Amino acid sequence: MSVDAAELNEKLHRKDIRDRWFLSAPALILIGVASVGPLLIVLLYSFLAPGNYGDVKWAFSTDGWFNVFFSRDIFDDTVSLADAHFTIFWRSIRLALATTVLCLIFGFPTAYFIATRPPQNRSIWLFLITIPFWTNMLIRAFAIQEVIRGEGLINTLLIKLGIIQAPIQMLFTDFAILLGMTYVHLPLMVLPLYASLEKLDFRLIEAAYDLYASRFNVLMKVIVPLVKPGIIAGSILVFIPALSSYVIPRVLGGGKNLMIGNLIELQFGQGRNWPLGAALSVTLVVIVLFAMLYYVRNAGKSGGSAHG
Amino acid sequence: MDQSSATASHGGAIGMHGIKKWFGNFQAVNDVSLEIRSNEFFTLLGPSGCGKTTLLRMIAGFELPSEGSIRLDGAEIAHLMPNQRPVNTVFQNYALFPHLTVAENIGFGLKMLGKPKAEIEAVVAEMLKLVHLEARGNNLVTQLSGGQQQRVALARALAPRPKVLLLDEPLSALDLKLRKSMQIELKRLQAETGITFVFVTHDQEEALTMSDRIAVMSQGEVRQVGAPWEIYDRPAERFVADFIGETNFIDVDVVSVGTDRALVRLPSGAEIPATFPAGTQPSGKVTIVIRPEHASATASAATAPLSGTIHDIVYLGTDTHLHVRLADGSSFMIRLQNARSGPCGYSVGEEIGIEISDDVAQILRD
Ligand SMILES: Nc1ncnc2c1ncn2[C@@H]1O[C@H](COP(=O)(O)OP(=O)(O)O)[C@@H](O)[C@H]1O
Ligand SMILES: [Mg+2]
Repeated sequence: MSVDAAELNEKLHRKDIRDRWFLSAPALILIGVASVGPLLIVLLYSFLAPGNYGDVKWAFSTDGWFNVFFSRDIFDDTVSLADAHFTIFWRSIRLALATTVLCLIFGFPTAYFIATRPPQNRSIWLFLITIPFWTNMLIRAFAIQEVIRGEGLINTLLIKLGIIQAPIQMLFTDFAILLGMTYVHLPLMVLPLYASLEKLDFRLIEAAYDLYASRFNVLMKVIVPLVKPGIIAGSILVFIPALSSYVIPRVLGGGKNLMIGNLIELQFGQGRNWPLGAALSVTLVVIVLFAMLYYVRNAGKSGGSAHG
Repeated sequence: MDQSSATASHGGAIGMHGIKKWFGNFQAVNDVSLEIRSNEFFTLLGPSGCGKTTLLRMIAGFELPSEGSIRLDGAEIAHLMPNQRPVNTVFQNYALFPHLTVAENIGFGLKMLGKPKAEIEAVVAEMLKLVHLEARGNNLVTQLSGGQQQRVALARALAPRPKVLLLDEPLSALDLKLRKSMQIELKRLQAETGITFVFVTHDQEEALTMSDRIAVMSQGEVRQVGAPWEIYDRPAERFVADFIGETNFIDVDVVSVGTDRALVRLPSGAEIPATFPAGTQPSGKVTIVIRPEHASATASAATAPLSGTIHDIVYLGTDTHLHVRLADGSSFMIRLQNARSGPCGYSVGEEIGIEISDDVAQILRD
């Protein structure tokens, strides 16, 4: 009797697991086709030899990976570290981090503002936040260029007002890149922050004020810990695309201020070195992976870890 | 801001004068004036929506009065931010910080006041003991039961030793048994700490059990303020009499008026003395109230001040209710205490007289 029961139980259990695999199949197929597959192809290309006019030759080669880290002198074949690559990687990480912080600084008050509006008005504000998405990023980048270039809106206005005599150089600087990247990525920070803030129980804020907390402490001791999931999600959503941006640095940074995205694009375009481009892409993925692991672990550790 | 005053443990008298509060066109509080004494257990009692929470929130500082002044120990506080008032709140839903432990919740106020760590730890330990949660200090509040969360909310609000503790229906989410024991617990805490408690409830029994004084509210106004016995035995108006306990209303004529008693004539022609609210001068036709337990049944219907026919008998274990139809058609209820076991000895359809105890009738303000 009891054996039967156990058997039945196990059958049910196995069936249960089968069903779950079956149910998650669409997601697994999608992830396989759209995410893992392309990544494997890129990985494969990074170990092939470059073709003469782009593309790859089907021959195993580690030159792609070698060129990520080292450069060989064309004349005497001496090998040195690929400083240019390291500089660009480091620049990209710095700019992406700065973008994330700026998005947080501007996005938090925005999300807080929306979350504290009457419920029937919130969707209008959210709708306004998403309007920039309607326009192609390239066009938005050129629009910013128009605003900040030498004879652009800001400089013309400042000169007319007599505040400055000569135009300020803003275009083709890191400032321009940061401005553009913050502008473009801001909604990606605002939306998850809003989702967290909307769930926040505002009576807790009253409780904190009641217990003698200053405005600053209400923010740091109550609001921030409680909306941490939103902060983490928003930061990830901004940092990853910011790190691999390519349109913004191209249009607003000019030719000299490259980021990883531009470097990779160069290898698949003018550089005609697809294996190097593929190896650089994989490197970028690895950097993002480690950055995320590090961030999520540390963000989870410092208090508030038990809060969902 | 002077935060040292926020932790002083004496005083705590609140004076509200001419308080009005509008939300848009809706007036939630209408001309409330109250004097709450230091170290008092004061209850705001009234049906849902009568403005109790709004009044409490104005004392806490979450709402500004549209008009009127709020004084704490004589000093105007209506303009102060909540974090500048030596007043703490036990919220209806507790509003505990879910990301903090029990001890961190309790210590939050002292930490915000910038107290040294050692002092915070000592007070938190003391508070944990006071609310019988010694073993739970390191638990997250989300791991506690409703009753335990309630006690944490209490300890958190008491820890900074406010002058006044505001409690907004703190027991309404608890089951009956827990509620009864928490009522006793709250009384004990109030006595031990000497802090003024302003307690909000819609439960008249709870108010009568716990309070030193009660303010009965209705539609944004205070209808009557007094000790529990005054509210119960000497209701000033129909709303108060009706809201608290069960009662008989009888229309009578005023015969004569003395200093604190009037003589009134019952429909039967009998005359009995009745008290009346201070500051009124009863005359002509008035309504008196007589509580069901202040009347008793007698077989001699002819000589009793009231008489009628029993039309319903309700047995309640401790009591039996006799519903009597009077000569004028109105219904009168008598509460008999079941002092002996067995049936009450009356039957439906029986003609009885109703005796009224001495000095129990109260004339209502019109
Ligand atoms: N912020 C507000 N905006 C509009 N109306 C409110 C607000 N707060 C309370 N009210 C109204 O004021 C009245 C009194 O509310 P409240 O003080 O919460 O009553 P109680 O606590 O006695 O149940 C209610 O009718 C309520 O709808
Ligand atoms: Mg209320």
